[in-house]
Amino acid sequence: MPQQRLGVLAELLRRDLKHRYLGTFSGGLWALLQPLLQLAIYGYVFGTIFRARLPEAEFGELGFITFLAIGLWPWTAFAEALNRASTAIVDNAGLLGKVALPRPLLVVAPVLAGFLLHLAGFVAVLLVLLGLGWLEPRWSLLWLPPLFVLLAGFSLGLAWLFAAVSVFVRDFTHVLAQALVLLFFLTPVLYPRSLIPAGLQGLADANPMALFVALFRQAALGVGDAGPAQVVAALALTAASLALGLFVFRRLAPHFEDFL
Amino acid sequence: MSAVLVEARGISKRYPLVSRRDARLRALAGLLLRRPGGAAHEVLKPLDLEIRRGESTGIVGANGAGKSTLLKLLTGVLTPSTGTLAVHGSVGALLELGAGFHPEYSGRENLRMAAALAGLSPEEIRERMPGIVAFADIGDYLDEPVKHYSSGMVVRLGFALVSALKPDLLITDEVLAVGDESFQKKCIAWMERYLGDGGTLLLVSHGMYHVQKLCSRALWLHQGRVEASGDAFTVTQAYLAWHERQGRAAAQSAATEGAAAEYRIAGWRVDGEAGTGHVLVDGADRALDIEVELVGADDRPPVLLVGLAQAAGLPVYGISSEMAGVVPERLAPGRYRHALSLDLAALLPGEYLLRLHPMDPEGLRLFGTTEVQVMVRGATREMGTVRLAHRWRT
Repeated sequence: MPQQRLGVLAELLRRDLKHRYLGTFSGGLWALLQPLLQLAIYGYVFGTIFRARLPEAEFGELGFITFLAIGLWPWTAFAEALNRASTAIVDNAGLLGKVALPRPLLVVAPVLAGFLLHLAGFVAVLLVLLGLGWLEPRWSLLWLPPLFVLLAGFSLGLAWLFAAVSVFVRDFTHVLAQALVLLFFLTPVLYPRSLIPAGLQGLADANPMALFVALFRQAALGVGDAGPAQVVAALALTAASLALGLFVFRRLAPHFEDFL
Repeated sequence: MSAVLVEARGISKRYPLVSRRDARLRALAGLLLRRPGGAAHEVLKPLDLEIRRGESTGIVGANGAGKSTLLKLLTGVLTPSTGTLAVHGSVGALLELGAGFHPEYSGRENLRMAAALAGLSPEEIRERMPGIVAFADIGDYLDEPVKHYSSGMVVRLGFALVSALKPDLLITDEVLAVGDESFQKKCIAWMERYLGDGGTLLLVSHGMYHVQKLCSRALWLHQGRVEASGDAFTVTQAYLAWHERQGRAAAQSAATEGAAAEYRIAGWRVDGEAGTGHVLVDGADRALDIEVELVGADDRPPVLLVGLAQAAGLPVYGISSEMAGVVPERLAPGRYRHALSLDLAALLPGEYLLRLHPMDPEGLRLFGTTEVQVMVRGATREMGTVRLAHRWRT
């Protein structure tokens, strides 16, 4: 019943969005405010206090804030999706025990909601940067939405995997939250990949998020050497993540009730 | 439209035992590798079940018999550990309190989600919403979170939803007992219409009356196993009989405990016959001759309380020797005998229980119970328990 699934997903999505801002004073504005604030603080700490400067040979006149914004939004969307989705099943334990509902959708809803909100924030920030003249308009900016979709797919696969596993291993949620903080610093979001010591660059490239950040920067700033090969790699990663996530989720889903 | 709504073959449910810390990890690995095993508790043994359209079925059984597990399997909330289950048609469930309602969301939001789960399109949901709201009749609470509802309101909302969805199979348990009088009437009226229109009900109930009234078939579950299945009346009768046996066994063990008490019944005779626990009374001979020998720890005359109750336990009459101011005959030091004749002429035919309780000489403390089944035979079209004196004025 695809129509039924669509209806249920729409309801879950509506719930998720509403619940996020239920009782908050700023409402949906917070979705835009939070990453903006984060951007401002990171920009202040690293740009003003630590005087982080981008290598001129590679980036020319590009400001640190603009550089940071392009990497920060995809990362925030990714990390938030995983954090929220990993508790999606456990949080809905009461519902699962009483209603038969398409369980994969319980994970799809928070991931989709998060990405939609962050996409909106991302577009707003890009427009501001363009308006300020901090970001040069270029055709390759049009790559950003499809890249966002690709990243959402990649995140969804992992979200299914983590949501299912955390039903069985409850501490997984806490471990994941910590691991994501660490991974943030290991991913070239706050710094360009070229600053990583040559011997460690190979290791850093094993991080899938490094690949996605490189693709975003290539599209938005025209810097780096990401090309068709990287796009294919990202597609393959997304397909693999979705396949693995769905496989594990489907195999474990019938037994959720026994362990909740 | 298939004639068979539910077809279950050998479905069972095992819960893994996950109290040990590593058990969850083991279970996770086992499931991923499709390697069954690990310690498990089987709450429902493999059973077959077929429910045909229009053939309402009742499920009866003591607590912990696996009734709820079976319902959860049928609604798709649980996946059977073994066997195959096919459900042809839509299923609506009205289980426990607040079944499927999320406490944080408003009634309206919960209704929308439930309707979407039932496969209604957004337009259909919009169309049926006013009807549901009118049926539930909970006023402004509809837009309040469900956690602020009273249990009656939750049931109203749930029932209103089900009434709008009109599922092919309606699964419900004792929830109807919650609403107030007027809402119950509304529910019963709706239920009768639903059944009349060919709806099918799967009812879990401890009230045999409801099962007999609403269902044509019944299934008796006992400790995860089907004890009996078939015609609703036969199955519920067997279940009630089993309950009575259980109750009597409990009473007997209570009586043996009384042996150590200060005052106890040493022996009794009804109509001259000693201790069979069963007396048959025919219509003509309706006075019971009761003799009870009591033993007292001290040499003081114990009091005897005699009561008569319906088989279901509802008292009909009770009197004690202390109320009547009767002193028992002293047979030996510490041994006394009470004797009385109990006129049963007013009793209508049926099954009764004669209860004998020894009491202390002050008539304050009760020491155990001895029950004698009394079967009053006879044929009459009068109704009730006792015949009240009356005359027709013409």
